[in-house]
Formats: sequence, C-alpha cells, structure tokens
Amino acid sequence: MEFFKQFAVPHPSFLIYGAMVSIGLAMLAIVVGITYFKKWGYLWREWITTVDHKRIGIMYLLTALLMLFRGGVDAIMMRYQLSMPENTFLDSQHYNEVFTTHGIVMILFMAMPFITFFFNYLIPLQIGARDVAFPRLNALSFWLFFMGMGLFNLSFIIGGSPDAGWTSYFPLANNEFSPTVGTNYYMIAIQIAGIGTLISGINFITTILKMRAPGMSLMKMPMFTWSAFIANVIVVFAFPVLTVLLAMGTMDRLFGTNFFTTDNGGMDMLWANLFWVWGHPEVYILILPAFGLYSEIISTFARRNLYGYKSMVASMVVISVFSFIVWTHHFFTMGQGALTNSIFSITTMAIAIPTGVKIFNWLFTLWKGKIVFTTPMLYSVLFIPLFTLGGVTGVMLAMSAADYQYHNTMFLVAHFHNVIIPGVVYAMIAGLTFYWPKMFGFMLNERIGKWTAWIMSIGFLLSFMPMYITGLDGQARRMSTYSEAAGFSMLNMVSFVGAGIMAISFVLLVYNIYYSIRYASRDIGSDPWDARSLEWATHTPVPEYNFAVIPEVASTQAFWDTKKNGHELFKGKIEKIHMPNNSGWPFIMACFFFVFGFAMVFSIWPVVIVTLIGILVCMAYRSFEKDHGRYISVKEIEETEAKLRGAKK
Amino acid sequence: MKVDNSLPLEYSTEENSLKILGFWIFLGAEIMLFATLFAVYFTLENRIGNGPSGAEIFEITPVLFETFLLLTSSFVIGLGIHAMRLGNKKATMVFFSITLLLGAGFLGFEIYEFVHYIHIGATLQTSAFTAALLTTLGTHGLHVILGLFWGLFILIQIKKRGLTPETANKSFIFSLYWHFLDIVWIFIFSFIYLKGMM
Amino acid sequence: MKELFPLKQVMGFVFSLVLTAVALLVHFMDMSFAIGLTVLLITAFMQAGLQLIVFMHAGETGDKKTIYTNVFYGLLIALMTIFGTLLILVWDM
Repeated sequence: MEFFKQFAVPHPSFLIYGAMVSIGLAMLAIVVGITYFKKWGYLWREWITTVDHKRIGIMYLLTALLMLFRGGVDAIMMRYQLSMPENTFLDSQHYNEVFTTHGIVMILFMAMPFITFFFNYLIPLQIGARDVAFPRLNALSFWLFFMGMGLFNLSFIIGGSPDAGWTSYFPLANNEFSPTVGTNYYMIAIQIAGIGTLISGINFITTILKMRAPGMSLMKMPMFTWSAFIANVIVVFAFPVLTVLLAMGTMDRLFGTNFFTTDNGGMDMLWANLFWVWGHPEVYILILPAFGLYSEIISTFARRNLYGYKSMVASMVVISVFSFIVWTHHFFTMGQGALTNSIFSITTMAIAIPTGVKIFNWLFTLWKGKIVFTTPMLYSVLFIPLFTLGGVTGVMLAMSAADYQYHNTMFLVAHFHNVIIPGVVYAMIAGLTFYWPKMFGFMLNERIGKWTAWIMSIGFLLSFMPMYITGLDGQARRMSTYSEAAGFSMLNMVSFVGAGIMAISFVLLVYNIYYSIRYASRDIGSDPWDARSLEWATHTPVPEYNFAVIPEVASTQAFWDTKKNGHELFKGKIEKIHMPNNSGWPFIMACFFFVFGFAMVFSIWPVVIVTLIGILVCMAYRSFEKDHGRYISVKEIEETEAKLRGAKK
Repeated sequence: MKVDNSLPLEYSTEENSLKILGFWIFLGAEIMLFATLFAVYFTLENRIGNGPSGAEIFEITPVLFETFLLLTSSFVIGLGIHAMRLGNKKATMVFFSITLLLGAGFLGFEIYEFVHYIHIGATLQTSAFTAALLTTLGTHGLHVILGLFWGLFILIQIKKRGLTPETANKSFIFSLYWHFLDIVWIFIFSFIYLKGMM
Repeated sequence: MKELFPLKQVMGFVFSLVLTAVALLVHFMDMSFAIGLTVLLITAFMQAGLQLIVFMHAGETGDKKTIYTNVFYGLLIALMTIFGTLLILVWDM
C-alpha cells in the first residue's frame, strides 16, 4: 500500500478528480469503441506502424489539436481566476500548476507538433520527393514525441503536475521547494519529446538537402520549405542544449548533484542561462515555419510571386545565427553587468531588422496583387498588423534599462502572446484551412471560417490588450490573485471576456470541421485554391508514393508556371517505385521510453534498468535487421493513377 | 536498389549517401551537446565548495594513457576504412578489432580514474565542480561504451555478410563517430586536464 | 602489407602525436597562463582539423560544402554559447 501512495495527487481538488474520471471514461470509450468496430488491426497496420510522412503528419496534427484543447482549458481557468479580485476558484498551488502546464503544453506539445505536422506533410510534397530521408526514424521521432507528451500529461492525475513555471527556474525547481514528483515529470517527459524533435530535425535537413526534385536548386525551393529548413537547423543546434540542461536538472533532483543548488558551489543562475540558450532559438523554431506558411498563402492569394525571395531567405539565414546570441534578454534583471546587458540589448534590437524585412516583403507582395480574400488570406492579413504590434512591444522590452520596469509583469505576458497568437496560432489555423483540401479532399466552409477569424481576433484583442496596461501598472505575472485596491479588476474581467470569445472561436473551428465533413462538396479537384507550388501538382488524396513521376522543376513557382507559362513538370514515364516497409519497432521502442520515463519519475530503479535494456535491445535489433523495403509495380501505379484521375472529375 | 560502382562502397546507393550526410548533421548536434557541457564546466570550474579542486585531483599518468589509446584507436579505424575501400575484408576486421580493443583499454583507464576520484572524495555530489567534471567525462565515456557495442555489432555483420554496400556504409559512419569522440577527447584533454593542472 | 598503411594517414597520426606532445609542454614546462592557454587552443584546434580532413574524409564528396558549413556553423554557435555563458555568469557577474 505504501508503494501506491506515491502515485496519489498530493494536492487534489474536485476539478482534478473530475478530470480523472472524465479521462478514464474517455480512454475506456476509445478502447471499447475500437474493439467494437474491430479496428485494432487497422490501427496497428495503417497508423501505429506507418512510416508514411503524410500519416505521421496527421498524427502530429491530432496530438496538437488535443493539446490545444488542454492548454486552452488551462488558459480559461487562469483568466477566470484573475477576473475578480480575491477569487478562490483556484488556490495558489493549483494556479502554479495551471500556468506551468499551460506554458509547456502550448509551446512544446501544441505549437511544436503543429509545425512538425506541416514539416511532415509538406516538405516532401513541396520538394517533389516520395518520403523523408529516413522514414523509419521519422516514425520513431513521432512516437518519442507522443510518449513524452503522454508522460507529461499523466502528471496531472498520477503524482501531481509540475508547478515551477514552464521555465522551471532553480532553486524553485529543486527538491526543497518543489517536493512533489511534478518537476521530475517536467525534466523527463520533455527530455523524451525533445529527443524526438532533435531526430526529426536531422531527418528534415537531410531530406531538404538531398531529396529535392531535379532542377530545384536551393534558391528555387518554395518559401515554406526554406523556412522549415532554417527552423530545423535551429532545432539541431538548440535542442542538444536542452538535452544537457534537463539531464543536469534530473541529476540535481534524483541524484543529489550540485549544479543548480545554492551551496557547494552550485549556481542556480546557470539554469536560467542555459534554459534561454535553448529557449530563445526555440521561439524562432516556432515562428519561422509560420512565416513560411504566410508567405505561401499571401503569394497564392495575391496571385503574385513572393516579393523579395532572396531577401526572405537572407533574413532567415541571419536569424538562424542571431537567434543564438540574444538569450540574455530573458533575464536582464538577473544581476550581470551593464556591459553584458548592453551587448544583448543591441543584438535583440538587431534581430528585429530581418523580421521587419519580411513584413515589408509581404506588404509588397500584396501591393498591386489581385487579392482574393479567402479564410487563410484573412488570417494572414490580420496577422500583419497584430504581429507588428507584438514586435514593437518586443523592441520596448529589448531595452535592458527599461526592462527593469516591465520584467515579469503582465506587460511581458501580453507581448509574447501578442507575437505567438497572431504569429504562430493564426498561421497554424490558416495553414490548416489552406491544406485541408489537400489532406482530406474537401474544403472547410469559408463563411464559418471567416467568422472564426474575426471572432478570434476580437477575442484576442480583448484578452491581451488590457494586460499591457495592467502590466505597466504593476500587475505581476504568475500571481494567483490580487486585492481590489490594486485596481486591476475591471481590465482583468475584460481579459476574461476576451478569453471566452477566443474559446467560442475555437468551438466554431471545430463546428466548421463537423459542418464541412457533412456538407462540403467532394468535387474540388486537386488544386482548389489555384496555388503555386508542387504539393498541388499531385492528386487529392495524395497517393502513398506522392508523385507517379518525379517532377522536373524550372522556377520557384513550379506549379504556377506549369499552369500559366507552359512549363512541363512530368517529363519521365512511370517506373517501379521503391518504398520503405512499415515497422512496429519505433512504437515498441517509444513504449519502452515511456515506461522508462515513468519509472525515472518515481525512482523505481529495477524498472528503469529493465526498460533501459529494452531500449538498447531495440537499437541492437535495428542494427542487425535487414530491410530493403518494397517495390510498387508499374501496373499498380497505373491503376492508382487512373482511379485518382477518374475521381477528379 | 541502384548501385553506383564508380563510388566507394559506402556511398554506392542513394540511401547510403543520405545516411552519411544525416550522420554529419547529427555530429553537428553532438558539437552543441559537448559545447554545452564545456560551458557548464568552465562556469563551475572554480566553484568547488568544500571539495577538492581540479589541480588537486588530476593525475597526468592515466590521462596520458587514455589520450594515447584513443588517438591510436582513431588512427587504426582510419586504416580500417582504408582497408575496406581496398576490399580487404580480413584487414578491415583486424583493424576494427584493434580499434575496439584500444577503446576498451581507454574505458578501463577511465573507470580506474572514476574509482580514484570517488575514493579521494570527489564524488558526483561533492560540489558543482565535481558534478560538472564527472558529467562531462561521463558523457564522453558513455559515448565510448555505446560505440564499443555498436562497433562490435558491425564487426559481426561484416563477418557474416561480408563487405556489402550496407555494412560498408555502417562501418564508415561508425568511423565518423569514433573520430568525433577522439576530437572531443582532445578538447577534454586540453581544456579540462591540462588547463586544470596548469 | 604496405598498401594497408597509406602515407597520408600515418603522417597524420605522427603529427597528432607531435601536437599532443606540444600540448603536454604546458604541463611540464613553466609558462604563464596566457601562453599556456594559447598553446592549448592552437594544438587542440589543429588536432580537430587534422581528424576532420585526414581521417573523417570531410572533403571527399559532393556534400563537401554542406559538411563544412555544418561543422563551422556548429562551431560558431558552440563558441558563442560558451563565451556568452562565461561573459554572463563569470566575467561580468
């Protein structure tokens, strides 16, 4: 019995018990449902063992949407708690847990898989390839990420959530001040997911460098692929820092080392420093692919080539270096000297320049364009002014002397939500709407889509603009309540209303999906938006081999030039296609990682050792395995092609 | 599978050249991994609390042996790859075996070193300095251990399957890994040991 | 037998032993910290370059540019991280 006590949630409430019951019921319903409809075999064959980049991408998407829901619920709870002074909806401990998980879930388990979904789905299609460079490794990346996500969310119902903030600064995160296993979950779950991300980074870089269609030089790649390339370069060089950092944090908590302690020479500031060495590039990992999506959408619906292609690329290359030398701006107040702060202040302001270049490029693309206001375009056009607002407040925060006033206030919270929501979230939804027909063969309803965009923007402005004001008036972030005399009540209530309106917009988004599944026309062809790059040159739905004949590319807007300027894309004839085999090993290995992580969290050493051996055996098995893939015959391809061509009409 | 005979065996298929480039990029990530460890080490180097300092615990003899063994193993695996390109299976296997033995010797000295540190009271828990030192050395050591198993598996595969595009590719990638560990050791040798004893 | 020991690699090995010996002078001779560190920096980076070019065949394929860009980019970020961290936490704290 004693053994099981450690798994109890240390500080429970009705909300947590309610969540436990509902999660339990939902799991049960899923298991019963799959069994009833006899779908286990289908699930295993078609999804769990798949190495197809499109299916892996869709699994990333589902994870991201699930986590968007969880992070969103956290957000609403926080806004409700702060909507009235002295509110008792959440006590301070629960508030700590909620803002911690909100941050991690939204950044690492919502935004990251969302962009990885786009990487997976789009990169091979945009460069005219049949899969990523290492399909099996791609499956492993997904499952590691998924297990890390699962482990992290388990903390909510077994052992208690992390509560030291998404940055988990020491000494707050050490055993003395965070005695529950929550922070162990943080260290280990993010570690596992992070390894998955790192592997997929390597995979995508290799894919982009080596698997482009003939004729597609680097400077003829679609802009999204460029942004994905740069983002993955940043992943590969930033995530190892996180790996080391989390390993050291784990050692401090589990093995009593003195990296971040306050005695025996330990240095708690080292955590903050290294966290942001990873954390700042991470911001650009999220925003660059979003910029890539906006570039695709804006040039498609302005019906013009993207203005300033070369300057777009150059600005991203500059960002890939600069994003690594601005990290101190997250802790200007930590106590380092004025010299250091000045240096990082200047680099921070400098990095706004390449971003500004991009904004002007989009504006010039729109100028004299034949603009078509579709839903994705509406999001993109809303993005430009809203994001610029966030950028400008960012430059305010970059001034180290002034930062002493803003630091850790709601002003900062307003700023980063102001860049992340119009920057990343809008891009994700715009991209989802844009590529939805490519994935599922029907379009989302435009009318509902536009309402969603407008409602979301109104909700966004109502939620976050008041925070700029309360922040400047001194409302600190991460405080669970405030007194009425502070005078923040009114604006916080507005903020809560705004959050509610945003929630409504997300409900509308879900309703739109439901509505479109029921009523949307399936007769849309393979190019419903009159788009410009290679992913639209193949059929909808995309066959598993992507392109029956590998395209030959002569310009940056390959598909557009085929349609309007008489370029010929598919010159070769159909030959047999080599494809990788499905494999269950990535999933099995990731399961070992999951149990390993869980055992680490609770320090159950025998299980740790057994699962570690399991992981190593999986690797050894892979080393000895012979797997040469399989071939799809010409006959099969011709049949598929004929069927898809028929379906197009 | 398309095999291009004009290239060395390890590059002969498209998949092979993808794997080699992918591994180089992985090594890029490894550069950052060790760079972070070095950043930690340099920051905590003088923060010894109540424990011993580097100058007090470092011994030159085992470090010299370790350095010599690893440098030589790195040279020998280079010879192994050369032999592989000549298509000499037996020589390749001999060189690979020697490499692994030298690696094991390196590991033996490192284990001795760790036992010694713990014996004289410089454990993982003693101070920030010892934690950073043992973690940095330990990370390199773990890479070597993993490399020994990996190398052994490849050796078995060469024996069983001969020098095919697949085994040659694996061997070449393994050699990249092994040389990289040697480079990391050079930096540990120079900036942890020698600088610490200066 | 001779063909198994290409001159380039043997010379590389000898050179790396020489570099190690030079680095060891720092320990066995009495020199100032600044000079010692300079010697170490030079020998360590030369060793690394040697391994990269002679043993790792970094420059032998069409991916030469990519590989060198990758390594130098990694090195640049690594040095910025190390020196940035030292600046913040040691030299200017």
